[in-house]
Amino acid sequence: MTYAKAKLARFLVLGVVACVSSFLLTFAAAAQSPTTRTARARTARTPRVNHAVKSGARARAINAEEMQALLKRDGNHPLLVNYWATWCDPCRDEFPDLVKIDKQYRAKGLDFIAITLDDLADINTAVPKFLREMKATMPVYLLNVADPEPAINSVDREWSGALPATFLYNNKGEVVYKHFGRIKVDELRAAVEKLVGSEEQKAVGRRQ
Amino acid sequence: MKKLPVISLLIALVAIAIAGNARTFTADIPAPPAIGATIVDFTLPDVDGKDHSLNSLKGKNGTVLIFVAVQCPISNAYNERMEKLGQDYKARGISVVGINANSTEATAAVKAHAAEKHLTFPILKDNGNKIADALGATRTPEAYFLDANNKLIYHGRIDNSRDPSRVVSSELRDALEATLSGKPVAKTTADAFGCSIKRAE
Repeated sequence: MTYAKAKLARFLVLGVVACVSSFLLTFAAAAQSPTTRTARARTARTPRVNHAVKSGARARAINAEEMQALLKRDGNHPLLVNYWATWCDPCRDEFPDLVKIDKQYRAKGLDFIAITLDDLADINTAVPKFLREMKATMPVYLLNVADPEPAINSVDREWSGALPATFLYNNKGEVVYKHFGRIKVDELRAAVEKLVGSEEQKAVGRRQ
Repeated sequence: MKKLPVISLLIALVAIAIAGNARTFTADIPAPPAIGATIVDFTLPDVDGKDHSLNSLKGKNGTVLIFVAVQCPISNAYNERMEKLGQDYKARGISVVGINANSTEATAAVKAHAAEKHLTFPILKDNGNKIADALGATRTPEAYFLDANNKLIYHGRIDNSRDPSRVVSSELRDALEATLSGKPVAKTTADAFGCSIKRAE
């Protein structure tokens, strides 16, 4: 075998391996999804217990590790996360739309948490005051870290820490949509619809 | 080469498989230049409408560009620190230049705010956020340190906390000090929470 032929053969083998593995992955995902959906439908009927905070009323202070744990998905529900602060005008402007999205999609299987970057000193004053005004219904956390850099980078390498920022994760914990700055509500709604729009999810929504 | 079609087919199949897994993201703000990239000279008006080029404002040892805001509480928390930075490094050949790229903040408001907060470094108005786009700036405050040749040395936060009593790492000052003493900069980027730059619609 000449050098050129050997090189070609190696290339072909690599190509076949890459091709086969990507197809296997696709089929594995497809084969897995019905059971995932069944599991999702089952848990959706039972009350959810993963909300450590009573929705809307107050924010609970968390550290970077606790934030990481909140972002992990158990394979049941997609998750919407909004980073905001009472001092951030576009955050305040978009909040009523987020409250609407929470009301509309929570029963359809969407988890939604809001994480504020307000000072810890505001956790019993400005933060709950704003949440009451907004009639917020989602669980709210206050990220309390001395150095924001590791937390920002752990969320998304492209994110500079500019507020607001909004991320949508599918039930596997993969980011499927993100937006920096004031949300475009139609765009966000469309992304959420894609995740909760399956017939099974709609059926779950009707039963609740 | 009758094997070529087979290879093409394989490549096409792999490409399809990859494309099938791709997801759509919102990405309307250009990425910032890489550390080490040379920033092209630009010209912007100051709060009195007078044009200044980067090259006319830069110090002999470099320039710090900081995207600032009138209304952002985080940017405002840094007013004294930015002013002190300008004072401290003026004599050492590094100039501090503010840039306001918020479409929501008019030149007159920027001028009044600078006077009220005693900011003496020049503040340029980036109408249409062209320079914010060129530098990939997204937040206030957000700093860029360029060396004497306009090469990007550091990009990111001023320090770790908007609360001066909680500051433990001052990445921007560290970058200036390292450069002035001819040493490499240990940390060339660092992020912090801040206000979004309000770009023109």
